[in-house]
Amino acid sequence: MAAKRTAHTPHHVMVIDTNRCVGCWTCAVACKEINNEPLGFWWNRILTAAPNESTTAAPPASDNIDVPRGVFPDLELAYLPVACQHCNDAPCVKVCPVQATFRRDDGTVLVDYERCIGCRYCMAACPYGVRIFNWGDAEYAPGGVVGYGKDYRFDGRLVFTPERPRGVVEKCTFCVERIDVGEKPFCCEACPIGARIFGDLADPASEVSQLVNEGGAVQLHPELGTDPNVYYVPVRRRAALET
Amino acid sequence: MVATNTASLPIPARGARTGRPGIQLWYALLAAACAFGLAAWIYELENGLAATGMRDVVSWGMYIFTFAFFIGLSAGGLIMASSAEVFGIKALKPLSRLGVLSAAACVAVAALMIIPDLGRPARILNIFIHPNWSSPLVWDVFIISIYFVFSVVDLAVLQQHTTEPARLRRTMRVLAYVGLPTAVLLHSITAWIFGLQIARTWWNTSLMAPLFVVSAVLSGTALVTLLALAAERWGGFTLPADTRRWLRGFITMALIVDLFFVGCEYITVLWGNVPADRSALDLVLPGGPWAWTFWGEWIVGGVIPLALLLVPRLRRMAGSLGVAAFLAIAGVYVFRIELVVIGFINPLTQFPPGIAVGTYNPTTTSFQLVGRYSPTWVEYGIIIGLFAFFGAIVTVGYHRLQLASRSPISSQEGRPAREETVHSAPDTPVAPSAGESPFSGEQ
Repeated sequence: MAAKRTAHTPHHVMVIDTNRCVGCWTCAVACKEINNEPLGFWWNRILTAAPNESTTAAPPASDNIDVPRGVFPDLELAYLPVACQHCNDAPCVKVCPVQATFRRDDGTVLVDYERCIGCRYCMAACPYGVRIFNWGDAEYAPGGVVGYGKDYRFDGRLVFTPERPRGVVEKCTFCVERIDVGEKPFCCEACPIGARIFGDLADPASEVSQLVNEGGAVQLHPELGTDPNVYYVPVRRRAALET
Repeated sequence: MVATNTASLPIPARGARTGRPGIQLWYALLAAACAFGLAAWIYELENGLAATGMRDVVSWGMYIFTFAFFIGLSAGGLIMASSAEVFGIKALKPLSRLGVLSAAACVAVAALMIIPDLGRPARILNIFIHPNWSSPLVWDVFIISIYFVFSVVDLAVLQQHTTEPARLRRTMRVLAYVGLPTAVLLHSITAWIFGLQIARTWWNTSLMAPLFVVSAVLSGTALVTLLALAAERWGGFTLPADTRRWLRGFITMALIVDLFFVGCEYITVLWGNVPADRSALDLVLPGGPWAWTFWGEWIVGGVIPLALLLVPRLRRMAGSLGVAAFLAIAGVYVFRIELVVIGFINPLTQFPPGIAVGTYNPTTTSFQLVGRYSPTWVEYGIIIGLFAFFGAIVTVGYHRLQLASRSPISSQEGRPAREETVHSAPDTPVAPSAGESPFSGEQ
């Protein structure tokens, strides 16, 4: 596997088409299942947004999800699924005092659960608020099924384990155990509308390359210079769609 | 071993009560508080950080803002001791050793404060095994270690200086010239833990390091003032009028500059009116849910101490310096609370449902848009224990090192002036109210 990576290191990128997303939370629930996320944990969550608006721009229309912005009949609604953005210049990687959070050559940002000291500096540093701490022992709904029930190591480092120990930080791994064998992250597999597209940005023929290079896909908070590997295709207005 | 020098000192009538039973009661109180803190920490180790009030939105709380507070407190002593040497301020020399003792104790307590905040405290050595040099936290660990060792060495040298002044003068000067920049660096690096973070607009300002340094000078000087007043009241220490004037001047200047810096932050946010910045400031300004921090900082820790320090009629009142110093320290603590907590509760995203909190509660949602934080008894317990530990280090250190009996009196008057009968506020939490100890009589 290591030899394969040196021959051609892919640049793993996820593109989320916000024109397609209907806010059904299937990806979030699928993520919880495959990664065995305890109660109260969401590696991936779907924000109720206004189309193409900055996440920090204005107070929300409501504290509740699925409430459109505006006054009837001029209503606007869009969804913004947010998980780890896998930044190329990741603030969490920069601040981690023990190099427990690290970036792989393919752009994936991972946490070494055996090295993390639980200082939570990465949670303070992440502009996207996607990191989750194991405050106590994990609680699960009875009868839950663990999607990927095995430990997974990269370079000898424990980057996935079905039950994360107390006192460490965890987050989206891009389903590292799946992408390393050529499969897609589970959220991309689960999305019923095909709004999540995963691929290799280093391959100009790939669908993600098309969307990033010609489809106008943008990053979240590009002004912060974190250079995420998750892109969003902006919402096209109805007028534009009808022509 | 029995204290005998009290008769020659002008101890006020109230001091008569604090004889040997007084100090024993004080030590018993400190020991009880330390034991309570230790018990709280054991409870936290058993139950994980779920025992605290912190969750994923507000993921740093009382430990971190008290840590930053103690780092700031440690400044005063070393800056004062070094200034006495570097700028030739003779009037501050009587406080050198007390100041450096306070610096060493504060930085030690600050370092301990980090341990209960860690999710996996047993892995703390990873910081030295796998240091990530781009992390301000790693810089901080190293500067704290250097600073602690330095202050202990400095204290040892100052201790010898009182017996052999001529031979150690040079060493003292070198230490002072190293100590001053080290203290400034310690506080700057601690500020950069917050100030360098692009994610949180409330923190991300280049003013953070200057603000930390000045608030450190303010709270640290005020702490040494309180310690000196307490030592004068209970420990046979003499605080010359000249020194008192310098302390008042130091605190006044630092407080004015501190408020000026905070005011600069406010005007920048208010005038610019950028939504993400404004939403943070609106939490603090009058009318917001955290407005008590505004009043604590500007009135309790700002206007009132300034009035006590500057208005001639109030300044002459007995105890004005002690009360002003205590309020200034309280104001700086409120500022630390505000800095850390507002940085977290100000939403990273305005879109519902916000951020998952990381624990399950069947009665509420798992998400928060605006963060919430209130510490639990475990956090209060550990903090009280560490405050008591600080009190114990300073009390024991004060008596062991015989700071009262061997303090060089270098004021021009040559005698401890007593024109202002100032007594420290007896309810100050950090001031050790030491009675005479078995050691204070030794010469």
